[in-house]
Amino acid sequence: MTEYIDVDVRPILRAGGEPFSVIMAALERLEPGQGLRLFATFKPIPLFAVMADRGFAHSEQPLDGGEWEVLFVPAAATPEQAQAAAPALGFDNWPEPAVKMDNRDLDPPEPMVRILSAADKLAPGETLSALVRREPVFLFPQLEKRGFRWLGGFTADGTAYELTVRAPS
Amino acid sequence: MIGASISKWTMTYFAMALAWLFVALGLMVAGIGYPAADIASADTLVLVHAVCIGWLSLAMCGALFQFVPVLVARPLFSENWALPAIGLLAAGLVSLLGGFLSLGGRLPPALWLLPLGAVLLTAGFGLIVVDLGLTAWSRRTGPTRFVLVGLASLAATVAFGAIFAFALAGRAGSAGDVILASGIPLHAIAGLGGWLTLTAMGVSYRLLAMFMLAPDVDERKSGITLAAGALAVVVAVAGGAAAMFLASGLQVAISLAAILGLASTALYGCDIAEIFRNRKRRQLELNTRMATLSFASLAGTALLGLALVALGTFTAHVGGFAFLAIFGWLSGLVLAKLYKIVAFLTWLETYGPVMGRAATPRVQDLVAEVRATKWFVIYYLAVWAGTAALLLGKPSAFQVTVAAMTIGVAGIVHEIIRIRRLTDVASPLRLPTGAVAPHLLFARS
Repeated sequence: MTEYIDVDVRPILRAGGEPFSVIMAALERLEPGQGLRLFATFKPIPLFAVMADRGFAHSEQPLDGGEWEVLFVPAAATPEQAQAAAPALGFDNWPEPAVKMDNRDLDPPEPMVRILSAADKLAPGETLSALVRREPVFLFPQLEKRGFRWLGGFTADGTAYELTVRAPS
Repeated sequence: MIGASISKWTMTYFAMALAWLFVALGLMVAGIGYPAADIASADTLVLVHAVCIGWLSLAMCGALFQFVPVLVARPLFSENWALPAIGLLAAGLVSLLGGFLSLGGRLPPALWLLPLGAVLLTAGFGLIVVDLGLTAWSRRTGPTRFVLVGLASLAATVAFGAIFAFALAGRAGSAGDVILASGIPLHAIAGLGGWLTLTAMGVSYRLLAMFMLAPDVDERKSGITLAAGALAVVVAVAGGAAAMFLASGLQVAISLAAILGLASTALYGCDIAEIFRNRKRRQLELNTRMATLSFASLAGTALLGLALVALGTFTAHVGGFAFLAIFGWLSGLVLAKLYKIVAFLTWLETYGPVMGRAATPRVQDLVAEVRATKWFVIYYLAVWAGTAALLLGKPSAFQVTVAAMTIGVAGIVHEIIRIRRLTDVASPLRLPTGAVAPHLLFARS
């Protein structure tokens, strides 16, 4: 999985400042293969072209209050999946999944039932990973209500959604 | 939050929509409005607006309050607007229908009810268009684009309708009278074609692919279908409006719109056939099987339209044409999808909180498809027979077919209430510890 450096330019933008130099400075500090996780108060569309010129693919995800989280992945080292959604920070040090599920060919809503069932059996801090056919939008609130954290995104070919769920530690 | 929660008021919209459907069916059984009265009569206006606003628009709005957040994986812009909106729509519709009844002499003169109804309906639909539009805007892809075009068409429909209401009350000046004199086809095309049909198409792309485990239709393909449909509405509304002010006929604009509409319908048929071909799930659920009857009705509507134009009798038979579009295609699809949506939302609301912690039923355990099938079959057969009765000019036969439709709808509604009350779920699974039975008319969230 690509390692990301976090850059949060929201305070700069809220203060009316220009975040471009900060982003470029962070870019200079990246190790080969590392990606950039950017937080902004708007969808920074002009930046996408600039970053594409420098060899980064992007995937963006809206946050609450009109804010955006954008992942820039070095195109040469595009990981197997473009991780798109991340509701909370601090995803380093997640252990290898204790359970791996392929729920792609189950009738809805069976994938959700099985993921919740397996998640409830995880030991504290353990993770499970599951492949599903669609973004499991009804599952996310259930996971959050139960205190799980999750990370998910469509696979590079767009045919499946890979979800990783971590039990509260 | 990322994700979608259960829409609190969707069931409320569905319940009120079904109540209006019964009102409309009752009017037709009683022989009020077309075909007993002229198609442009006040009685027919009552009937058409009870169906299109009360039944179809409320059902569609209720579905969209749930569906748009699912499409964009974000909560609604404002959940709190849904309840005042339905109150405004109900009051506006009652007022509008009162105005029509007064216009036709069934009520004492009170034409002010028409503009009052228009203002209330505009406020209600305005809240809904802004709420759903702002929610949908955050991810403008695939089915969401259909919904956005549908909402824009709804705004156009409401604008025309409001002008008509003021003009009928004698309060829209000479420009209003000009628009009233020739703008009614544009109002109907924007409403039935743009708002109801394009939105239903967009919703069906995702629901069908989801329920049949099929890949989504390629965005470029569905985009062309949408472009043809949207262009048909734009040509009809903008072209028609321009023609009105140039005092030339609407013929050119409407003919062009009809060709584009036909093209869009044909492309949609290809897209839907592709979803069926590429499905992983071979065994189809009731809602999908019944939806195919609705697609057949849409194809039938298109062919009927072509045949009537070729025979030069379209104007004489526009009532039969509209009846098949409204009850075969739109109402049939909405009833089939309601059956599934209510089951799924009820299941999620009741068992979501305890899932994985206690044994829970499957969604299929909430429904009794074999029992429900006959009601849908009665409904569709009655709709097709009713269309034939209208085309053949047999008003009493038509009343009998609508009575049969009413029996079918009553059966379907009875099944939907059983689903909501978990009546068909066997006892140990019905309410596991921690699960709460849902309320019939709204979701506890």
